[in-house]
Amino acid sequence: MTRVALEHVSFWYPATSAPALEDVSLEVVGGELVALVGRVGAGASTLLLVAGDLAPRVVGGRLEGTVRFEGSDRAGKDGGRRIVLPSPWTQLSGMAFTVWDEVAFGPANLGWPRGEIARHVEHALALLEITGLNSRDPATLSGGELQRVILAGILAMNPAVLLCDEPTAELDPAGAQAVWRLLSALAREGKAVLVATSDLDALPDVADRVVWLERGRVAATGTAALLAGDAACAAGLGTTVAGVWRAAELAAPFPATVAAAVRRWR
Amino acid sequence: MSGRLHPFTLLAVAAALPALAWILPAPAGAAATLAVALGLTLTPGASPGSTGIGSSPGWRPGSVVFRAALLTAAPFWLFLLLLHDVPTTIATGLRITTMVASIGWVVAALPPARLVEAMVAAGWSATAAYLFAATLSAVPVLKSRAQRIVEAQRCRGLSPRGGVANRLRALGAVALPLVLSALHEVDERALALETRGLVPGVHRTPLEPPPDRVAERVARWGLAALCAVALVWRLA
Repeated sequence: MTRVALEHVSFWYPATSAPALEDVSLEVVGGELVALVGRVGAGASTLLLVAGDLAPRVVGGRLEGTVRFEGSDRAGKDGGRRIVLPSPWTQLSGMAFTVWDEVAFGPANLGWPRGEIARHVEHALALLEITGLNSRDPATLSGGELQRVILAGILAMNPAVLLCDEPTAELDPAGAQAVWRLLSALAREGKAVLVATSDLDALPDVADRVVWLERGRVAATGTAALLAGDAACAAGLGTTVAGVWRAAELAAPFPATVAAAVRRWR
Repeated sequence: MSGRLHPFTLLAVAAALPALAWILPAPAGAAATLAVALGLTLTPGASPGSTGIGSSPGWRPGSVVFRAALLTAAPFWLFLLLLHDVPTTIATGLRITTMVASIGWVVAALPPARLVEAMVAAGWSATAAYLFAATLSAVPVLKSRAQRIVEAQRCRGLSPRGGVANRLRALGAVALPLVLSALHEVDERALALETRGLVPGVHRTPLEPPPDRVAERVARWGLAALCAVALVWRLA
């Protein structure tokens, strides 16, 4: 069973006295998609780095508490914990001159046989609907195309835990919807998916749980209905529909989605 | 032709020609090596996009490399003529031009991705190969970022055209953000490489290792032996 769990985790970046995370406990298991929401600086990106074993191991800093990961964390069938960072341009490998090679970069580093690499790359390209880009130079792609290539590169490594930091930031609405559908499908396949996002309107349809971070602490945890609550709306973390409903001083509970609002109006 | 050769063979030829140009007696020896080097610049380079790893950002048709080599070497001839007599100028100029043409040829003919594949297949560490490929691929990446910075600075009223002072001012306004942004992204790039498995000691699978034929290996050793024999002959 895949599982990543943070138990009373606090984290300080190097040369800082204030913690970026403070006493955070969170568990994500295979089969669920958990969304992290919060204002800029709330600690969502840091939480992903900690969950992905990059902080403090690569980033530096100090960690208190425990991070547990169950599942394969070595090269093999299971690619362990992998993170998609927010800016696609800084995630280019620098060793690939075609999209195909860029996506194959991670699996090749895992030492997989070439046939298996090809199979995973083709599958990831198809999942992200970018098979037509496979001979393009990654340096010539748009931000949205590159975002999908980077995500494909991580998916090709077959991670058990997928950590995404603003995965739809560079995408148009249709592309963003496609990525959310994909992440939801990956969770249903058994992967543990943890996403930090400001695309709040998408969450009611895809997130199993929502974790609201405030100044490095967990302020609230619940279903996506959390995003239609008065407190979340007041903090600017409600969905657009809930925000409009609240601004119009209509009766609570606020609907989180257009579909829910339509049902209420009828 | 050069597109089909193993990357190590191309590097061996590019290294042997300048070495022989300096070892063999001038002007005849240097003229001969220069003729070979210039001839190579006119051969078809690596074919872009022929395989998944066959494209090269440095690829140029042969005549472009030929002209670039001569244009790059021209100032050296001028300065040599100012500093030395005619025989020395010819001898040294031929040698320097051989170096320039050899380097230009190998940069144009050798896709970095192919060299990386060859290095990984030969047992080099993936991190060493990464240092090489990332350096080469940084050129187009930095070029495109510089273009974006130029456009952003233009929006703020900076004009990169006009006199020398104007251009120098514009250069500063472009270079500083370029360097700072490159430094800023180092941390994030390190995280991205780590999460994609590029860690010290990794045994990377070469995706499409170029074939290293026996004849090419013999040729490489032959070139090394030729340089050694020529050196011994010159020192004797």
